Amino acid sequence: MLLRVAWRNVWRNKARSMVIVIAVALGLWGGIFSDAFMQGMSQQLVHSVIYTQTGNIQLNQPGFLVNHDMALTIPNTDSIVTQVENIPGVAGAATDIQIAAMASTASGSAGIMINGINPGEYVKVNELNKMLTEGDYFKDSRANQIVIGQQLADKLKVKLHSRIVVTLQTTAGNIVYGAFRITGIYSTSSTDFDGQTVYVRDDDIRTLVNYLPGQASIITVLLHNNDDTKKVTDAIRGAYPNLQVQPWMELSPLLQMVTGTVQQTAYIFVGIILIALAFGIINTMLMAVLDRTHEIGMLLSIGMKPRLIFSMFMLETVFLSLTGAAAGMAVSIGSIYWFGQKGINLSVVAQGINAFGYSSVVYPTLGVDFYADLALMVFVIAMIAGVFPARRAIRLKPAEAVRGD
Amino acid sequence: MPVIDIKGLSKTYNETMVPVHALNGVNLSFEKGEFTAIVGPSGCGKTTLLNMIGGLDYPTSGEVIIGGEDITKMKSAKLVEFRLRNIGFIFQSYNLIPVLTVKENTEFIMELQHRNPTEIKERVQYLLAAMGLSDKMNVRPKYLSGGQQQRVAVARALASKPTFILADEPTANLDSKSTNTLLDLMATLNEKEQVTFIFSTHDQRVMDKAKRIVTLEDGKVISDSKIATSHEHAGV
Repeated sequence: MLLRVAWRNVWRNKARSMVIVIAVALGLWGGIFSDAFMQGMSQQLVHSVIYTQTGNIQLNQPGFLVNHDMALTIPNTDSIVTQVENIPGVAGAATDIQIAAMASTASGSAGIMINGINPGEYVKVNELNKMLTEGDYFKDSRANQIVIGQQLADKLKVKLHSRIVVTLQTTAGNIVYGAFRITGIYSTSSTDFDGQTVYVRDDDIRTLVNYLPGQASIITVLLHNNDDTKKVTDAIRGAYPNLQVQPWMELSPLLQMVTGTVQQTAYIFVGIILIALAFGIINTMLMAVLDRTHEIGMLLSIGMKPRLIFSMFMLETVFLSLTGAAAGMAVSIGSIYWFGQKGINLSVVAQGINAFGYSSVVYPTLGVDFYADLALMVFVIAMIAGVFPARRAIRLKPAEAVRGD
Repeated sequence: MPVIDIKGLSKTYNETMVPVHALNGVNLSFEKGEFTAIVGPSGCGKTTLLNMIGGLDYPTSGEVIIGGEDITKMKSAKLVEFRLRNIGFIFQSYNLIPVLTVKENTEFIMELQHRNPTEIKERVQYLLAAMGLSDKMNVRPKYLSGGQQQRVAVARALASKPTFILADEPTANLDSKSTNTLLDLMATLNEKEQVTFIFSTHDQRVMDKAKRIVTLEDGKVISDSKIATSHEHAGV
């Protein structure tokens, strides 16, 4: 009976209840959607970094990443790649000869990072082939092809089929030059990355710097599921204790921090919204207590225990809040699904956000666990907000309240 | 043994600069099955007396002994339980729960008493039939006339099987026809179920039905007369 009375009481003053329900719904929608937006951006950033830069896991010689020392290479990479690919959860592994170099054209020069890859194998761990805006991805077998980022092309004022001269050191420390023809221009969501990363065939670079067959700087590993990163990292570390095995979180700690912060920021943001809404809820429930002073007096007079009256008002507060929360979540789920399919185009500010590695089209997304946490947060806030009006109700003196004093 | 025994009951309100002596040494007792009207001018202490008898307020001094227990000494939590088990209330402005139907309003108090569902169902049907409201069981109070609402309030008061019923100006908002219907119903139930009714009233029609009339003035009982039959006019 108490549940029934409380639920019906919520709708006694429909206009007042609807105002607070809509306020809760809109407040939560704002909080949830902005979180989904940030999560979408963050997940896209992680996806972009994994699929264009680091893979899920990288193997290299300890110290290599400090200054890209050419002497620190992994020998016999073919057998390592084969063994790593046999580890459960691994989608693919590929080698990469990574060398810092200088790129020059008639118009200018820039520091670059050359990635010498086997194009056929590299597609297993990298989506470069899907990010070409011009040209193709090592389509034919001609020597000295180079694929560069749009940002670098702009900086060097070069176009497809232009020639680039790269200057680099051999393993013996000699300076060598190589002339490459641009056969592809790519664009990722990170302008920084696009401005300094180029791809060439590993055989071409190996000849230039005198690397032996099977010798490479890095082995990049891609997993079927990012959640398995830690488990597979541990397995590879166990198999190759002399190599440095790092998951993307260690390779890009800033990215890890950003994704972690997004989640925390979302909870803080929604928490602040809920606290603001709590005052609205308190006000509505205080009005309800004031309106129903006669009735509370009657209930106390006929022998309804204050504990039950307290519970009734707490239930009303919870029902009111959860109704708003349910409406807010429904609107959020719908809008997140819709924008998750269509995307939110931020091309107006793309230049700014691309500099941070974010994509200009954001697909909002949100995990189910957030909704569960949110429902719990709303419940807790409602319980806290309900205490003051409920206490006010049971502190009424029956003889005075029943007369409406 | 009286149902209610009031001894030296006084109540002084100190809410203003000048203390108000609402009750001043009232001594009264009520027997089972009495149909009593407490009358007197406004401010004479009728409502205060009813509040003290009903355990809704504590007196400044004196005792209200009901069923051998002095309720003025009871803690408020115990008083709530005492009211639930022993006292029925009827208010001037009906005070039904607007979100509940007639049936649910009547059931409500029995559910608070944790009565079994079968008993609740049977008693509700009996009381609402007695009140002539069988056809209004599933109607909410706002769709009823004032007289019908007050009859629901009487049914609710009787539902808990109280030792006595306190009614504060129960006919003040009713027209003559509704008042007569209500009073007849209450008189019948008083006869039939031997429920003790205590009214505070200004209404001559209530006084006409009463078997006993207690007159208060300035917080004191100035007359207490029993009438031979309920139809005789009480010459106060």
